[in-house]
Amino acid sequence: MAKQISVGVVNHSRARLAVNFLGSMRLAVNLLVLLAIASIIGTVLNQQQPYQNYILKFGPFWFDVFRDLGLYNVYRTNWYLAIVGFLVLSTTTCLIRNTPRMLREMREPDTAIASAYEPQRMANSITLHSPLSMDHATQMVTAILRGRGYRPKTHESAADHCMTVVGRKGRYNRLGYILTHAAIIVFCAAALYNADIPVKLAMLVGSVRPENNFHIPLSGVSKAAWLPDNNPAYRGTVTVPEGQSTHVVYELVGDGYLVQKLPFHILVKRFHVAYYSTGMPKDFISNIVIYNNEGKVLKEGNVRVNHPLTYKGVQIFQASFVDGGSLLKMKRYMLNNPGADAIRQKARVGQSVDVSGTSYKLKLKNFSLDNVVPARAIEAKPVKGLKHVNLGPSFTYIAQSKSGSGAEFKTYMQPIARNGQSYFVQGVRTAFGAPYQYLFIPTGPNGNIGLFMKYLSALQDQVTASDGKNTRDYVLDTFKRVVADYAPSMTARAEALYFQSAISAILQLRAYPAPFIVTLTGFDHRWAAGLEVTKWPATIVIYWGCAVLVLGIFILFYLPQRRILVRLRTLSSGGTEVIIGGTSSRNPYEFTKEFEGFAVRFKNVLRSQDGKKEN
Amino acid sequence: MMASSHANELLALTKIEAEGRWTNRLSKLDWLWFAGLSISVGILVDVFNSQFWFWQYVVLAVWYVTLIAVGIHWRPMQGAFLTVVTAALLGVWLYSIGQTPANDIVLRYVLQGYAGVMWMVGFLLAATIAYLIYFFTLLEKVGRLATGLTWAGVLMGFIGLGVRWRETYIGHPSWGHVPVTNLWEVMVVFCACTSLFYLYYESRIKSRALGAFVMPLVAASAIFLLWLTFVQHMDRIAPIIPALQSFWMKLHVPMMFVAYANFTIASFVGLAYILGDRSRKRGGGGILARALPSGELMDDMMAKAIALGFLLFTIATILGAVWAAKAWGGFWSWDPKETWALIVWLNYAGFLHARTSKGLRGKQMAWWSFMSLWVVTFCFLGVNLFLSGLHSYGKL
Ligand code: HEM
Repeated sequence: MAKQISVGVVNHSRARLAVNFLGSMRLAVNLLVLLAIASIIGTVLNQQQPYQNYILKFGPFWFDVFRDLGLYNVYRTNWYLAIVGFLVLSTTTCLIRNTPRMLREMREPDTAIASAYEPQRMANSITLHSPLSMDHATQMVTAILRGRGYRPKTHESAADHCMTVVGRKGRYNRLGYILTHAAIIVFCAAALYNADIPVKLAMLVGSVRPENNFHIPLSGVSKAAWLPDNNPAYRGTVTVPEGQSTHVVYELVGDGYLVQKLPFHILVKRFHVAYYSTGMPKDFISNIVIYNNEGKVLKEGNVRVNHPLTYKGVQIFQASFVDGGSLLKMKRYMLNNPGADAIRQKARVGQSVDVSGTSYKLKLKNFSLDNVVPARAIEAKPVKGLKHVNLGPSFTYIAQSKSGSGAEFKTYMQPIARNGQSYFVQGVRTAFGAPYQYLFIPTGPNGNIGLFMKYLSALQDQVTASDGKNTRDYVLDTFKRVVADYAPSMTARAEALYFQSAISAILQLRAYPAPFIVTLTGFDHRWAAGLEVTKWPATIVIYWGCAVLVLGIFILFYLPQRRILVRLRTLSSGGTEVIIGGTSSRNPYEFTKEFEGFAVRFKNVLRSQDGKKEN
Repeated sequence: MMASSHANELLALTKIEAEGRWTNRLSKLDWLWFAGLSISVGILVDVFNSQFWFWQYVVLAVWYVTLIAVGIHWRPMQGAFLTVVTAALLGVWLYSIGQTPANDIVLRYVLQGYAGVMWMVGFLLAATIAYLIYFFTLLEKVGRLATGLTWAGVLMGFIGLGVRWRETYIGHPSWGHVPVTNLWEVMVVFCACTSLFYLYYESRIKSRALGAFVMPLVAASAIFLLWLTFVQHMDRIAPIIPALQSFWMKLHVPMMFVAYANFTIASFVGLAYILGDRSRKRGGGGILARALPSGELMDDMMAKAIALGFLLFTIATILGAVWAAKAWGGFWSWDPKETWALIVWLNYAGFLHARTSKGLRGKQMAWWSFMSLWVVTFCFLGVNLFLSGLHSYGKL
């Protein structure tokens, strides 16, 4: 195989040596292994993280060293691309050098083989003596070979009165080599094309410059960050709130981004998440409409994970989702004046609102429609068969005062029942990333914390009015009075439960970091769909490249070239001497077995008496 | 007179030619195999005609051709395939008539996916012990028992997988999936495939000694599987995340494991080669030299396993890229799992190239093959355990 390939060097000029080196098998092996080792780096080190992470991890010195080596984005560094490039160059050299010879060999007439080989010298060989005449034996040999699919050709040599039959199988085995290596070259070329070579070049020349400010409207993005409208290949992402549309996508580059204009507008009509009964997401679906500048609808449909939508070569994928600015209706109770009516307020996720009467600002961070948790997390003894419960909507916000104190809150909209009493539940944390501490405030018969606030207020009044009285008594008396005033329908049992819960809530409130409690009374939910949009005409090239690669490997491995050469010569003593030889380009063991089968068959058919095997 | 003898001669030649034809070497069973598969495929097409799309027909056609070829090339596959399909269909049928593992002993102890897998683990562990005993004693009876136990394990494993496929739909039709989506299911596929391919190579080289090298790894995987079952409870059927609900995933994952199976076998044959080589150099009196087949035979088997693994691995990686293109919008994201697949591929491409050049032979290639086990194992398990990325669904 390769043995025949690397020999035959006569001309020792320098260019020739360079070509030999580039096309050598040894270089190929080394490059393949080198590339494998280089690829490991990027899997050990998380790629393309914000630089701060790396500084924290390695310290400033090593951070600089690793950055200069390009270890934060290995697969786009020049040295990595250089190895790939060198491999492609080497493969190309090898292919160009070998192909003509292989093609010639494929078309080589069998007669040439007949004179080039001696059957005795082949990897497998046997000599028989047949009583049949040479012509007759030749016919038999031909028939045997034809039966086994060897396409025999006979060749008579007038010089030494012998007949040669050549049988070949898998003549196109070399095509396997050509196909695999050509596919790899095509493949790498297409991959490089995908690596935005045109954009890279444009950035190098300076005609395209990424925008670094993420907080400006589209109209404010500098012209240099816009990619050409007719860009042949791009891959960008965009987040579109429900009911809104976009005609651009963003491509992240380094610490900035580029803007690509799309040939149409994408309107996200609706986004929704389907769940399994376990609360695990089952599907993410964006219902989108594609329309042109004039507003004419071009296509409409769903984009789901694993099911992109294609329009005119542009593919739209479901990539992610976030809150798209849901409208939240809130009620706020002031802890310093719990008796007053709750204050109503509306705002959207992402907005900040002032808390009147305090120096606090609320930043509405997120809203989630569903909170599915294991049932065990709520009840000590979950209802049988119910493994998961949906706690319903919740929202998170950060409260920050001018003086700098603040906390993050996660508040559930619906009361959560626990051991017979329902609670308003709110998670609080004062350090980002710390676990939430949960505050449980019992809800009264009308389902909100109004009753609790009235009680709190009454207690505060009482404390100022009745110094010196028995604490236990007035806490309970006040409770009875508040219940009589505001919730006369409560049963004794409910009252007892409520009272206990209220007392522990009051104790919990001591550590509460804000002077108010905000509850959620309603919402107008709005998602934003994260879409990925790609245009990549080279896709089809890649697919064909893959198909050719697989076909080539199959041919190489499973259609080996096998040759059988039979030389017949009339013996002076009568009869015919038959020398049979055979080789295979692969799997010598299997071929030896096949050859043994052949030998038996030849012996039988040629009625040979003294066939001796000399393997 | 002349004409008649000429005609006789022609007839004789035609006969000689016809006798050599490969179709002539097919047995009646082969024809039955071919006919049975053709009829089954015809029925499938007829039943699913309205639901199939283009690529499902392609996959069906590939299965059809592959099964015919494999069944004829290696006849035990015919019986094995029929046994698995029949038993799995029996399990499915039992479920369909309302039986459950709770009220049906056959389901509970044999055919239920979980039970099938436990049987597989038991048989394969027993087979490993038998192979080890055989290796040291060379008792023919023990060797046959080892082969038989391995077959039993393989059959139970595939039956279990088949029935489990149906079970994923029971109770929760929307959860249904091919059982190749979590580490547990994938380990079952790995154990069963590695054993099956080992049996194939065993029957080709007609030596059982290599079982003592390959099967201990299968046993280790089976024990890992037990740990996943009893400590991690990963045998529970769970729904799958949206990214895994892909046509291409169903093809990509099993094919990867068939490739891993071949690579694994090749690496242990490499180990056997190295040890056998050492033993022979010391004079050849030891057990190793006595039990192991010749170095050339092992070298050939190793190369064959790697070649088949390489072909399948290439296809599987391409299928993975197609899946990634559908799910994430790009063929290749340099995610750690993808990158490790590339590393494995480059490693074996290097191996195959090195083998075709004269310089590297025998022991060096055996070392290369053996050391590649770590590369493959890291790609298959290590990435999920130690690195993060899109493929973290396999996390413990
Ligand atoms: C990404 C790079 C490459 C890949 C994936 C690749 C792949 C392959 C494969 C799978 C084979 C079949 C091996 C076998 O017969 O056992 C092969 C054979 C071969 N490759 Fe490469 N190759 C690559 C690069 C190269 C390069 C750079 C050369 C240049 C010297 C080369 C030269 C050969 C030769 C001479 C053969 C033997 C052909 C034969 O057996 O008929 N390959 N290659």
